[in-house]
This record gives sequence, C-alpha cells and structure tokens, in this order.
Amino acid sequence: MSGVALAATTALALSGCAGSSGSGGQGGGGPRTLTVWLMNGSAPTALTDALHKEFSDSHPGVTVNYEIQQWNGIQDKLTTALAGNDAPDIIEIGNTQAPKFAAAGVLADLTADTARLSGDQWLESLKASGQWDGKQYAVPFYAANREVLYREDMFEQAGIAAPPTSRQQWLDAIGALRAEFGSDPDFQALYLPGQNWYALLSFIYDEGGDLARQDGTAFTATVDSPQAKAGLEFYGQLVEASGTKAPKDADEQTPEQAGIYGGGKVAMMIGLPWEVATAAKTDPGLTELTSAFPIPSKTAGEPAPVFQGGSNLAVPANSADQDLARDYLALMTSARYQGELAEAGMIPGASTDTSALEADPVNAAMAAAAKKGRSVPATPGWASIEAGQNPLKDMLTAYLTGAKDITAATDDANAALNKAFGG
Amino acid sequence: MATPTTAAPPRDTPGAGRRRPRAALGEPAVPYLMLAPAVVVMLALLAWPAVQVLGISFRKLDLGELVRGEVVWVGFDNYAEILTDPVFWSATARTVVFTAAVVAATVALGLGVGVLMRHLGAVVRTLLQISLVLAWATPIVATTTVFQWMFDQEYGILNKTLVLLGFDSFQGHSWFATGASTLTVIGLLVLWQATPFIGFTLYAGLVTTPRDLYEAAAIDGASPWQAFRAVSWPSLRPMLTLVAFLSVLWDFKVFTQVWAIRQGGPDGSSTTLPVLLYLKGISGSHFGVAAAVAVLMLVVLVAVTWRYLRLLVRSPETEL
Repeated sequence: MSGVALAATTALALSGCAGSSGSGGQGGGGPRTLTVWLMNGSAPTALTDALHKEFSDSHPGVTVNYEIQQWNGIQDKLTTALAGNDAPDIIEIGNTQAPKFAAAGVLADLTADTARLSGDQWLESLKASGQWDGKQYAVPFYAANREVLYREDMFEQAGIAAPPTSRQQWLDAIGALRAEFGSDPDFQALYLPGQNWYALLSFIYDEGGDLARQDGTAFTATVDSPQAKAGLEFYGQLVEASGTKAPKDADEQTPEQAGIYGGGKVAMMIGLPWEVATAAKTDPGLTELTSAFPIPSKTAGEPAPVFQGGSNLAVPANSADQDLARDYLALMTSARYQGELAEAGMIPGASTDTSALEADPVNAAMAAAAKKGRSVPATPGWASIEAGQNPLKDMLTAYLTGAKDITAATDDANAALNKAFGG
Repeated sequence: MATPTTAAPPRDTPGAGRRRPRAALGEPAVPYLMLAPAVVVMLALLAWPAVQVLGISFRKLDLGELVRGEVVWVGFDNYAEILTDPVFWSATARTVVFTAAVVAATVALGLGVGVLMRHLGAVVRTLLQISLVLAWATPIVATTTVFQWMFDQEYGILNKTLVLLGFDSFQGHSWFATGASTLTVIGLLVLWQATPFIGFTLYAGLVTTPRDLYEAAAIDGASPWQAFRAVSWPSLRPMLTLVAFLSVLWDFKVFTQVWAIRQGGPDGSSTTLPVLLYLKGISGSHFGVAAAVAVLMLVVLVAVTWRYLRLLVRSPETEL
C-alpha cells in the first residue's frame, strides 16, 4: 500500500516539476501544469471539481494539479515551498497571515488584475488583509464572522418575544433568562470565557475604536483609546450580568464552548455558525432548537461590526505560470463559484451576493453582520501574535480577574502590540 | 555464528601475531578508520547544525531573507537585542529556578522510590514498577491534557475534591492565575513524568550493591540510616550525579508541557527560555534572534553544569 502511494506521489511530484519549470516562459505549446494548494475544509469538492473541469476545458493542454493542504504546520510548509524553485501557482492563506507573506515579498503583485478578479465586489476586510504598501498581493476568497447562537425554546419560556437588536435588549434578555432558569445552579444565560477576543473586537469596533492606526506600512496600537476601554468595559458588564461560569483565563476553545453548550444548560454563546454542528454531536436535538442573531450594537436595530476570519488567495512570486494562475483566480472569483461558496455556508470574498445564506437562520444572522466585517491590522507582526502570545487575551484576563485596573491592562496590551508591530 | 568461524582462520595462522611490526604504517590508522563512520555521522547531525545555529545568530534571517536566500550579516545585533530585553533576563532567572526546583524534587523522589523498591516484597514491587512504567510510557501531551483537566478551574477534580474536604476557597480557584502557580503545576507534571526513570536508575544502582555488605553492616550493629550512609550511598553517588546531570539537561529544555499548559502565560509570567526561543523563531519568524537565544541558552546551561562537565572530562571511566 505505502509503496503504491509513494509511487503515485513521486509521479505527481515529477509531473508537477516538469510542468511548472519546463514550460514556464514559453507561453502556450506543450502540456502545462497548474499547481493549486487549497486548505482542508475550505472549498467544497463539488465546487473544485466543476471549476477544474471548466478551467481545463478553456485551457487545452493545461492540467490542474490540485492538492488539499492541512492547516497544521502550513506556515512552515508555505515558507519552504515559497523559497524553492518549485513553488505552487495558487495558494490559500489565512487572512491574518497574509500580510506576513505579502511584506516578505514572496507573493506576486495582483493590483493590475483587480478588475478581472471582481475587485468591485470584494469583501472589505479581506481586501484590506491582502494589501501591503498600497498594493494588492492577495485576493479575498471567503470569510466567516461570529454571531450570538441561542436556544429558541429557552427564549420562548423566558418570555423573550424577539431576538435582541440592541445591547440593552441583550442585557434585558440575559436578565429574563436568569429569572426563569436561575434556580438551576448549572444554568448559564451566556457562556462567555474570559479570552474570547473576537467578541471583544466587535465591542471595540462598535464603540468606534480599533486595534491600531495605520500610516502607510506603519501601525500604532490604539487599545488604550477611550473607545477600546469602553468595549472592554462592556465585555466585563456582559460577564457580570450573565454570571457565566466560564474560566476567565481561557478562550472559547479550552474547553471547547460548543461542548459546554451541548450540555443543554447554556442559553447563548458567541460563536461561528458551524459550532452548532459541534454542539449537536453531544445533543442532536440542538440543531432544531438553535437559532442566531447578529452581535447587537449600541445603536438599536443595527448589528455591531464584527471581526472576520477567512482566507485569501495568492500567487507565489516564484510561480512559473503567472498568466495561468491569474486566469484561475478570475474563474474562482467569478459569480458562479462565489455563489457556490455562499451555498456552502461561507461569506463569499469576491461577491456581495449573500442571498444563498438567507435560507438558514443561523447563516442569515452571520450574513446580516458581514457587511460590517473588519479584520485585524494588516501588519506582518500580527502573525506572530496569533502564533505566540496574544496581548488582548492577557488584557482581558487581567481586567476581568481584577489583577490590573483598566488603564494598566490596556496600557500593557498597547505596549505589547506596538512591540509586535515593530517586528 | 557462521561468520566468525569463516573469518577467524587466517588470523589464527601461526606467526600472524608475531609479524605485527610489518603492518606498522597501517595499524595505528585502524581504530580511527573504525571510528570514522560514527564520527562523520555525529559531525553531520550534531556539529554541523550547531555551527549553523552559531552562524545564523550573527545574521538577520527573517521570512523574507529565508525565502529569498539572502545572507545578511549583522554582527552582534541579535545578541544586543536579546541581552537588552528584560524579558530575556526574567525568563533566564525563571528557567534556572524552575530547573533547580524540578531537578531537586525529581532526584529526591526518585531516590525515595528506588530505596522503596529495594525494600518492598516482590508482588508490591512489581505493581509499583508497572505503575511507574505506565506513567513513564504515557505520551507527554496525553499526560499534559490529563493534568489540564485535573487542575481545571470549573470542572477539575482537584478543586472539587478540595471543596468536598471543606476548603471552600478552592471553589472556582484558578491554578493558572499567576506565573508561580502555573510553573508549580508544570513542575508537578514534569516531576510525574521524570520520576520513573530516575527511580529505576537508582534502584539499579542499589541492587548492584552486594548483599554481604549490608549483612556485614548489620553484624556491626548499624542502624538502617547508618547502613544507607555507609553502604548504599557510596555506590549510589556516581549514579545520583549522573541522573542529576541528565535531569538538568532535560528540565532546562522543557518546552512541550510549558507551551501546552498556558503558552507561557498568564501575561508571559511562565515564559521560560525554550518558550522565548519558540516565540522569537517560530511565532515571530526572526530566526537570527532565535538562534542567538539558542546560543545563550547553551552558555547558561554550560555555566550551570560546569562542575559536572569538568568531572566528566577529567575522569571519563570512573566516577562521573
């Protein structure tokens, strides 16, 4: 078995080599291979199958060598691959990692191709994360943002007529839920661990604040601003009001919040649409009982801005088939395939049409806030924060546990962020 | 079995031994030739990477330089950056204290376990040995996960047990709220994983001590403590030195457990040198700075183990 697999891999590798290095500059004539690396769990197989067929049909003699990569260890793999002569032609990179690669000068400049890559439809947050020094190095692929997942049955029992559409209504709903179910010591109106910094970002944006101020390629942290402090205070207010038993020194992954929600004693959590499926592993009935609403804003009736996580597509500077790669990107960012991404439950990166998400209430709530999506500062320093120690998490824990007052907590986080931005 | 018999006869021919002077030119080279493969492998796998690290520590090597294959020499800039960073000094102090505490605890507990095994009956000893081997054989990350759950603030068995015993203040107590507390938990975890090896090694040292010596001590009216001091201790001492030396090397470099528990948090207060190395190199892609941290770690380690290293070089065959 392993012998066969090895032989197959070697054959693939060899054909990949021959394709990209042999025919690079010649343009047309002779078989060519386009190597595409997409991440595990991103584009559905039906989409890539159809897209690759269409691409091969319109580009006779070109073979698409499609490889699905695992997220685990992808940074190192990309670093090695981009350094070599045998770089893939298309890569998918997480939007918070994109600036690191763009700034290192290993990606091809796509600014001139913006128009044919549906540039007028791009999701603002992903567009920003693909930019460096005024040039576009990565194009939006797809994104997702957090929303409030809630138990419809519990809301009904507590007499909450409609999902909250303002912060005040949200706090009122928490009050009503606690009044109804508070006698159960295990009940939590909102499960909110101390380090859900994605939720914090939403509150800071809603106050009009941001993590940093950009000036060309220089970033200055602004977590010590009054707006950021107000966002942090609201986080504390939510933790206080909800009486959540979640640890103050851990994020939503430790322990996995969907598992806690699956226990049936939690009325709300701030999460991604597919966390419902994770919770349903514990209790299949939850899929039926769970709905969602956008994270409420200070301004009644509007969703709060949200942090958007997602992926960008890029062409390595070392790719031998730059023209083919751009054709491939044009097809991927076309309305048809972007529509299929939306049908798969993701926010399309290169299409403003999110109608395919409307059918399911959990997806619809995500789409409702999507237009106000933002991303973290597009600086190479951010990658080191996510792969290392996140000052925002430390700030949240220090503030919520009372280890530091709000000024000290935000000042320390601001200094740590500036240090990371500085390289 | 067949090979020696076929290979032996030519060597056994009369006179072969007496004719040695004839091969005088080639003979001295033979041991070196036989050592050569091992030396080459060692140089390729250990010495060359070490030289590389030393070289990289004098270069600016970020993602861009790495990908473009550029070599940018910056002299002592990386060292200057690290040595002026207060984080490095606090991490160094933390690592040295952590290592000292964990090594002392491991060796003491290992010695206790070794002596205990010597005095236990066969059945109980076998049970103890199986338990030790199991603790030792469990993958590091698996044990770490178990410890994380045991010490969990809300769902951990430790807090629940303490509350049951009447210590109500441990309701919702966070063991990872401060660096000292976090490192204590990590130290316990390392202790749990390291004790079996130390225990077995010291037990092996104890069983090689001839029984007669204990009998002689008993006849002379020695108390158990005196017997331990006079009979066990001399045979254990070189072993103890060895395991202490090995433990220092291991515990100084502990990364997996520290990173898995709190990523060097809260607020960087359980960041040890290996964590700092990871943050600079893997997280931050500043490979030059990370190499400088690695070289400085080696310097600290050599300073800490200087006495043992000298003993090792001076008397390689007898006591360590």
